[in-house]
Parts: sequence; structure tokens; C-alpha cells
Amino acid sequence: MKEPFILFMVAGTTYALRSTEVAHVEMVEQVTAVPNAADFVDGVVFSRGQVVPALNLRARFGFERAPYGLATRLLVANAGGRSVGLIVDEAREFVPIDTASIQPPASALTGLSGRYLEGVANIGGRLVLVLNLTEVLTFTDPALEAHT
Amino acid sequence: MADDANILGNFMDDYFVECEEHLAAIRAQLLELERGVGAGTVRPAVLQDLFRSFHSIKGISGMVELREAEMLAHQMESYLRALRQREVTVSQRGVDALVAGVAALERTIAARRDGQPAPPVDQVLHDIAATTPEAGAAQGPDVEARSMDVAPSWRVTFAPSAELIARGVTVDVVRARLRERGRIVDAAPKVMPHGIVFEFLFAGDLEPDVVEAWRADGALAERVAVSPSSAAAESAESDAAESADAASRLGATHVVRVDLARLDELMRMIGDLVISRARLAAALARVERRVPPVEWREVQENSQTIERQLRDLREGVMRVRMVPVREIFRRMPFVVRDLARETGKKVRLELRGQETEIDKYLIERMMDPMLHLVRNAVSHGFESTAERLAAGKPEEGTLVLSSSSVGEAVLLEIADDGRGIDPDAVAARARAMGVPVPEGTLTSRAVLDVICAPGFSTRDETDRASGRGVGMAVVKATVEELNGTISLDTTPGEGTRFVIELPLTLSITDALIAHVGERTFAVPQAQVREVIEVDPTTVRRVEQHEIAPLRGGSLPIVRLARAFGIEARPRRALHVFVVGNGADAVGIAVDRIAGQREIVVRRMADDLIKVAGVAGATDLGDGRVVLILDLLALARYGQSAGTAEGSTKAGSAR
Repeated sequence: MKEPFILFMVAGTTYALRSTEVAHVEMVEQVTAVPNAADFVDGVVFSRGQVVPALNLRARFGFERAPYGLATRLLVANAGGRSVGLIVDEAREFVPIDTASIQPPASALTGLSGRYLEGVANIGGRLVLVLNLTEVLTFTDPALEAHT
Repeated sequence: MADDANILGNFMDDYFVECEEHLAAIRAQLLELERGVGAGTVRPAVLQDLFRSFHSIKGISGMVELREAEMLAHQMESYLRALRQREVTVSQRGVDALVAGVAALERTIAARRDGQPAPPVDQVLHDIAATTPEAGAAQGPDVEARSMDVAPSWRVTFAPSAELIARGVTVDVVRARLRERGRIVDAAPKVMPHGIVFEFLFAGDLEPDVVEAWRADGALAERVAVSPSSAAAESAESDAAESADAASRLGATHVVRVDLARLDELMRMIGDLVISRARLAAALARVERRVPPVEWREVQENSQTIERQLRDLREGVMRVRMVPVREIFRRMPFVVRDLARETGKKVRLELRGQETEIDKYLIERMMDPMLHLVRNAVSHGFESTAERLAAGKPEEGTLVLSSSSVGEAVLLEIADDGRGIDPDAVAARARAMGVPVPEGTLTSRAVLDVICAPGFSTRDETDRASGRGVGMAVVKATVEELNGTISLDTTPGEGTRFVIELPLTLSITDALIAHVGERTFAVPQAQVREVIEVDPTTVRRVEQHEIAPLRGGSLPIVRLARAFGIEARPRRALHVFVVGNGADAVGIAVDRIAGQREIVVRRMADDLIKVAGVAGATDLGDGRVVLILDLLALARYGQSAGTAEGSTKAGSAR
């Protein structure tokens, strides 16, 4: 069965999220920093009248942060009753992916972002990492636990 | 003197509110009257209600000496009296004259409220008079007592009771006694919660001992202050109208009008209570180890009960702010009627769920956006009558305004069965105006985004209906500012539906705006006991604390820049929010306090952004998130900063 996914780039790698999990995609405007929040939280933004956290996926996946550019996008994703913004380098494509073709991540691929992966899909020779959104939003950073 | 001015001010406020209520009733009845004209039958109750409303406006306008309003109301009242007593059919011309008269009345009252001179009303008065055959000549052929030229000097109320009747004192006896001493100008039974009361307006002399004697018989006489023009005049009314009046007064006795500012004051006092409770809790925590556990628990439980009750109290006050959506809806029939007539369309307006309650502030903010959506629907949403017939639709378009509450939200829906919005036309128009548009056929959501884009307008600016007031961009901005959402569902040929979802209540509070480095924060005023300025060179370090001198004593200071890790340049003066009293007082230092304003508190619900010292977020109007500080949490951070476990950042307090 084919499902629509939205593809986006973080630090040169292509990731995918089910488009049903993404409420909308926005330009990144003013992000207000939240003091003492987890280091991968850039801050908060208003999205359709709601205050949502803006997660920097580069930071979440352990890459170096990059300044926001014209291509930078905020994906507002819904999971488990939460609305959370994901800051990505760019987000341009919707593609249908046959969910049966999503393979569990190979052990070689379970790098820094490995624990957030649902699997890997091959779209016309291009490798796409399918994200497990719930895992991305789960709050288990050792750095943060030190705070709590 | 100042008190006099104040009383007059309050009185004028009441006057405007009361006028608005009567005018709202008049607007509704005029529509009904006009429908009656079309159908050839007018319900007498409509005329009665209109008459009563004009009569009331005339009376109260006389009291505040707003002569133009009084004359207008009088002229329209005369016309209605003529209609009622002669049983003539109402003409369209007559209705138009009334509509023009009401508009003039509204302008006149608004001008007084704004301190402007009254607009000219002569022409309007003339037009209404022209519809009234022998204006003023139509006095009721009523009882002798209902004389027009005698001013009542006493109001005598008599409440019959079994006991009085047993003593032979009935209403007839009271009436006979009055007739002996003067003239009964008016008499009417009134339905009161505890039974019927007869009220007589009486002209004549009553000596004090007579008044005393009657009081013993259950008839209370009190002097009536006579205003020169409202005098006895309008007594030629049937008892039916009067008892309806009594009924409306009865309704009024169950409702209290409250100034929003007074509710805000209540909220502020509750805020004070919350702070006191927090102090109590902090004190309790300090003595925990020194008090036997059983006793400590009892005090602790009491403290928690107070906290819960405070929350209930707060919610109770918030509930008082709730008003029925009817306040928005009742203006709509008028707007639709005028616009339908202007555009030559036939539109039926259906109102549903008018009883749904919503915060008064939301109602006020939503009035203009709702008017815009309704005007848009009538002007652009509906096809012309000819187009509708050609499309096989009923000649008359249906516009449904409905409201309902769903959980913690209120839905407002504006649905028409008009032509719908053509996504391709919207896309083409947007491109022509330089508004960015996604490729392909637009979904309803994309259509909404485009029509709400600043710079997009559906018609030429010369279009009367869309040219005034707010555009869709403002509608959307307002809804989002109120923490709500707007959605669109449209099908070409079938119609358009806007759904606005708003939170049931809003936390609105007064806040002080503070700056630290490049950052801006809002501080709920209720948490602030005092604001002081501190010279940084006087601040001393004592172990982990910073202490500023304050009125001979000292005040521990928490620098927000430090607590939040914000880069801030040294300044010549620090502004400090003081929370707590006496030995518990703590100062939260910022660079600059920039003013005060009312803010809408939005929750920061997600765990990722719940941090100590931040209570929520707000928008100061530029779309940026501004964090609302929790000074009490910051003060706790300051107090614990010296202890071993307090050496981490403020995040530890969570």
C-alpha cells in the first residue's frame, strides 16, 4: 500500500515523515528562545495560534547547527496529541512510498539518528530514512535528565 | 461636586447600555415588522414591543436631556400609536421612515457618548411625521384617569394579600381612596416574583399622615420626580403593553450589569490571594521539620484546600465574564437585510445556538470579523436571484450563523448556500495581485490561506460591502490572536462555510513588559508587589546572593539575565520587580521595564518547553512569541540559590 510522505533534508541526508503526521510546513520566522530548555529546542513559535516548540533536527540528530536560510523550513508535526515544530534544512517533496518496501534500518545505519528511525526506503535508487516521530519527540536526553 | 459628576457619569453609562438594549430589540422588531408588511399581516405584539422600546428611550433620553433622541423616539412612538389604534396596515414607506429614524437615533446617542454635537434630525423627524396621520391626535379614548395633561406626583404601589383582603382592603378600595384625593393618571398590574402588585401613578396632594395610614394598609406612596417632557404623557397604553413592560422589568431584576474593569479588579485581588497562598506554602515548607508530622499534614492539607478553592474562585470569576453569543448575532439580521436590499438579493438568515456562552472580551473582538464574514457572504457568496434560478436553486439564499460549544472551545459557523469559492479564480486573482499561490488546484485550506493573505481582496475597493472595515487577513489575524483557528469548506455551486474555533475563556491579564538584553518578557502584574530602580553599584554579593539596599533594609536580587543565561550589557540602573513581603521579599532584576498592557495568556503545554520561571506565552501584536515570566518561581530560585541543591540553574526548580 502506498502512502504519501514528505521528504526533507537534514545535514545532507534525506528523511521522510508520513504526510498525515505533518500538519503544515512553514517558513521559519521568529523563534523565541526558551531559557533552560533542552539544547535541541531552538525555542517556541506561534503556529496557527498555538505555541509550539521548535526542535532543531540537526541538533537532535547530533549534527552541528546551521544558521537558518531561505530554504529552512518548520514542519509542524502531530504525534500523540502534541504539536511540535521540526526545523529542517529544506522540505520540498511529497512522494508516495510503498510502506511494504520500508526496510528496518541496517545496523550500519544506526548512527546518531538511528534510534529515531522506523526504517529505510529506496525511492528510485535514493535512500530515504523514514522517521519514527514518536521517538524523535520523546524526551530522553542524558543532558536533560541532569536538569530534572 | 466630584461625586455629582461621578454619579452623572455612571448614570450616563447606564443610559447608553439601556439604549443599546432597546435599540437591539427595536432592530429585531423592525425586521419582523418588515416581514409582516410583505406578508400583509403585522402581529400586534410587534407594534407593542416597538412602541414600548421607543417609549423607554424617550423617557430615559428626557432624563438625560438628550432632546434630539427624545424627539426622534417620540415621533416614532406617535407613528406606532397611530398604527396600533387605527389598525392601519404598515406601509413600506412607513418602515423605511422608521429604519431611517432608528439610524438617526443611533447616531444621536453615539454622538452624545463620544461627546459630539447631535447630528441634524429635522429631516428624519419630518419624514416620520409625514407617515403619521395627525400625529399626536391619537390619544386613547381611555378611562377618565388616563389623562394626558396631568403630571403624576406620586407612585402608589399596592400588593394585595389575603390578610389585607380580610381587612377589606382591596385594590378597588385603594383606587377609590386615590380618586377622592386627586386623579389616577395610570394604573397597571405588575407581575413580581412574589405575586401581583398594582401600581398607580397619581396626581394630587397626599399629607404625610395619609401616606402613613395607607402604608399600614399595604399601599406605599412615594413621590415621583417629574421630568418636564416625559411627564404623564404616554399613559394611553393598554394594560397588555404595561404588563409586558413589567415582565421585561422582571427579567431585568435577575441580571446585574458589571463593568469588565471591576471583574479585572476582582481577578487582581484573586492574584493577590494566590501570592499570599504561595507565601503560606513556602512558610509551611520551611517549618515542616520542626512540627510533628500529624499536625503539619493537617495544616498542609488546609493550605492545599485553599489553593483548590482559589482556583475555583478564579474560574467562577471567569465564568461571570461569559455572555451569550446573541450579542454578536443580534446585529446580523439588520446587516443582512440592508445589504440584501442594496445588492438586490433575497437572503434568509438563520441563527442557531445564540445561547452559547463565550468570554465577553472574545465577543467584543469577534464582532468586526463576524460582520465582515457576513457581509462577504451576502455580497460575494450569494449569486444574483436570476443566477440562482438558472442554477435550479431556491430564489432565496440561506445564510446560517450558528454557534455551539465543544469541550473547551466555542465554534462559530457562517455557512451560505451560494456560489462557493472557485479555487482557480482565487488563484488567478492572487497571481494578478502578486500574492504567492501554490501550483495546481487549491484545496479549501489553500484557498483560505490565499484569501487571508495580506494584499488579497476579492473585489474592487469600490465595492461598498467589502471596501469597509476589515479584510480576511484581519479576520484571520484576530482569530489567531485570540488563540483560535479558522477553517474553510467550500464547494463551487453549493456554498461556503467558515468555521471559527475559539477557546471558551481566555486568560487575560495585565502585564508589565520587561527587556533583558535583546529579549522581551511579560510579567503578570498580579505577581508584582512593587517596582523599584536599583543602582548596580550598590548591589553587594553575600555568599551566593546578591543584595540590594532597600529602604534601610536589604533585598535579595535575582538577575533574570543570569537565571536565564542571557547576555546583557551592564547598565546604569536596573529595574527590579519586587515579589513577596518583609523577609520573604525578593527582587527580580531586568534591564528595563517598558510599560504595561493587557495580554492574552497562552499555555506552553508541551513538556519540551515547560521550564521553571516561564508561565506561558503571549503575542504583543507582531506575531512573535513573548514569554510570560513566573516571578514566584524565579524568586524561589533566588532563595534556594545559596543552598547546596540550588546551585544548578533555574531548570532544577521544576
